[in-house]
Amino acid sequence: MAYETRDKMSQKGKHRILMVSDFFYPNFGGVENHIYYLSQCLIKLGHTVVVMTHAYGNRSGVRYMTGGLKVYYVPWKPFLMQNTLPTFYGTLPIVRTILLRERISLIHGHQAFSTLCHEALMHARTMGYKVVFTDHSLYGFADVGSIHMNKVLQFTLADVSQAICVSHTSKENTVLRSGLPPERVFVIPNAVDTAMFKPPRERLGSSEIVIVVISRLVYRKGADLLVEVIPEVCALHPNVRFIIGGDGPKRVRLEEMREKHSLQDRVDMLGAVPHAKVQSVLVSGHIFLNSSLTEAFCIAILEAASCGLLTVSTRVGGVPEVLPDDMIVLAKPDPSDMVQAITKAIHLLPQIDPQAMHCRVKKLYSWYDVAKRTEIVYERAFNCSNQSLVERLPRYLSCGAWAGKLFCLVMIIDFLLWHLLQMWKPDKEIEVVPEIDFASRPSEEAAWDSSTDES
Amino acid sequence: MDSPKWRKVAYGGMQPGFDDNHTDESFLEEMIMNANVVKRDLVKVILDSVSISQYLCIVSLVVLVWTYTLRSIFTETSLLLLDIILLCSGFLIVLLTAKRLSFDLLVSYFLKTSFFITGLYVLSPVYQTLTRSISSDSIWALTTSLVVLHLFLHNYSDSTLEFTNFTSNISLNASIVSSLLIASRLPSRLHVFAIVLFSLQVFLFGPFVGYCVKKYSFRLHLCFSFGLMVLTLFLVYGLHRLLFVLLLGILVFVNLVCPYWLIRIQEYKFEINGPWDEAKLCFNISE
Repeated sequence: MAYETRDKMSQKGKHRILMVSDFFYPNFGGVENHIYYLSQCLIKLGHTVVVMTHAYGNRSGVRYMTGGLKVYYVPWKPFLMQNTLPTFYGTLPIVRTILLRERISLIHGHQAFSTLCHEALMHARTMGYKVVFTDHSLYGFADVGSIHMNKVLQFTLADVSQAICVSHTSKENTVLRSGLPPERVFVIPNAVDTAMFKPPRERLGSSEIVIVVISRLVYRKGADLLVEVIPEVCALHPNVRFIIGGDGPKRVRLEEMREKHSLQDRVDMLGAVPHAKVQSVLVSGHIFLNSSLTEAFCIAILEAASCGLLTVSTRVGGVPEVLPDDMIVLAKPDPSDMVQAITKAIHLLPQIDPQAMHCRVKKLYSWYDVAKRTEIVYERAFNCSNQSLVERLPRYLSCGAWAGKLFCLVMIIDFLLWHLLQMWKPDKEIEVVPEIDFASRPSEEAAWDSSTDES
Repeated sequence: MDSPKWRKVAYGGMQPGFDDNHTDESFLEEMIMNANVVKRDLVKVILDSVSISQYLCIVSLVVLVWTYTLRSIFTETSLLLLDIILLCSGFLIVLLTAKRLSFDLLVSYFLKTSFFITGLYVLSPVYQTLTRSISSDSIWALTTSLVVLHLFLHNYSDSTLEFTNFTSNISLNASIVSSLLIASRLPSRLHVFAIVLFSLQVFLFGPFVGYCVKKYSFRLHLCFSFGLMVLTLFLVYGLHRLLFVLLLGILVFVNLVCPYWLIRIQEYKFEINGPWDEAKLCFNISE
């Protein structure tokens, strides 16, 4: 796979991008890491990236992260599941100020479940900016929560410039939920920081086989499947040990299972594992077990593969697309099937070389590649024509008989409020942030190429 | 060398020769539509909706009895007679329609009913003075809204024996509270006892009796419901013309308009299943 060098890239246009989401550092998770790594790679490619999210506890205001990544922790407290209170127009002034101060050219929102993202995208469209949206999760169609969420998504995506999904299954799901034409949805997967997730220097002994599970212990992540699978596997294979990292409401059931089958010496429960320690837990095992019931794209599997573990996972969502067939064993989300898959994995173990697996993952996934592909999406977004409010309203009207008119009303009010703000605090009065070049120091100019080891 | 085919994989970066927004022919191939949708027949839906209107008529009859009692048209002795008749006929219906006659079950029913009646008799002085300081208008308004709430949240399905549903609990509570409110407006202790016994008999045991009749024979259930509807309409006509028109309108709406409407909009049902669905666990989670 040939990558262009940085010199060629610097001749193309550089953008100033605002990433918006409710989910960012100091939380750790799929969306948070995606935004962070993508922003870092885009900065290395020469763009300017600013992140906007809500305040976390006392962490409110402007912070700077590695590489000059500026983060606005807007002083809104989260009210439900890390989301800010949806006030429709309450975020308009702060979003407008940030967009003007930082001279943003494009807004990139993340995660359909984030209210801040939807509001910021709505205001950005009102003010005429180009907008890109990335969807990170799969949702259903049948229950009340999903129906409302899909309607909100339809509203936001009615007028988005381009959309990105993290897997092909996720693209099908997003297209069905939002009614977007499939040509406007790009599939750009997540990647993994292979410099951090490395296999151990010495191979582990094969007298005892260690199976690692790291996930939140909730229903969605298949903790109930674990409760059924672990005793059977321990009974079938006497030399197998389990290490379970993570916490959640289902932890009690796992502890009960451990007591009931007297597996205290064969099942270790580590509790919540901080993100920095995940690699050290992973390298202590041979096999990684993922039992989730739904996943758009499972980064945990990638991290495990990067550390040289063979993965056993349930065949759900986008998981079959993540790894080649020789690095993963898939099973139906059924306890007996999973036990068979674990047995097969144990037999495959002698053929696995962790270092070779790590090198393969390095070639197959890189955040640099993700950033380059995202750049192409940004170029496409810029090529979309500018449209006035009147030209955009028909797109909202097609969302539904009643909903379409409601959405149009919401956008018209937003437009009027924006003009009111412009009269009250004109654009000229907002101070523009001066250009600070973090990359001009010589030590930063080392070639950031994915094939070099950053150790 | 022939051109590489597009593969549905996420690894390996951008697939050579294809853009990231390439939509293959296999897009949405695994989508399954309307897998669990039941095809409905208009006549069957109308016949099923008869049980809803039957319950509506029962509740209207209860409200009728309340009105006549409050206007002192029914005396307490006639009310007590009504209670005894209802109790005996209820027992009779359950006996006749039960497939297996178990003596133990009968004795347990009898014991439970007698405990219930004794408890009510002992508590009736309390109910009599419950709302003495509240104005009549508030009582009528509260009762009306509670009865409407009861009708909305009632569990009309055939599994009336399992009150595990959250909303069916609320509806039962609403009906009990409304009967106690009405009872507290009555002059004497015996009045209170009679009306509370009557209301609770109907609200607590009525659905069970209706279920027994329906289980035994569907024709009997239909005849019983039609007879009840006719009786209710006749009695309400004697009470107030406007209420008669309202009740008739509601019965027509529930029995004829709603089934037709349901069949019409059933065409638009679009149930989507595919690989993105959350997997269902095939075993029960035992807590």
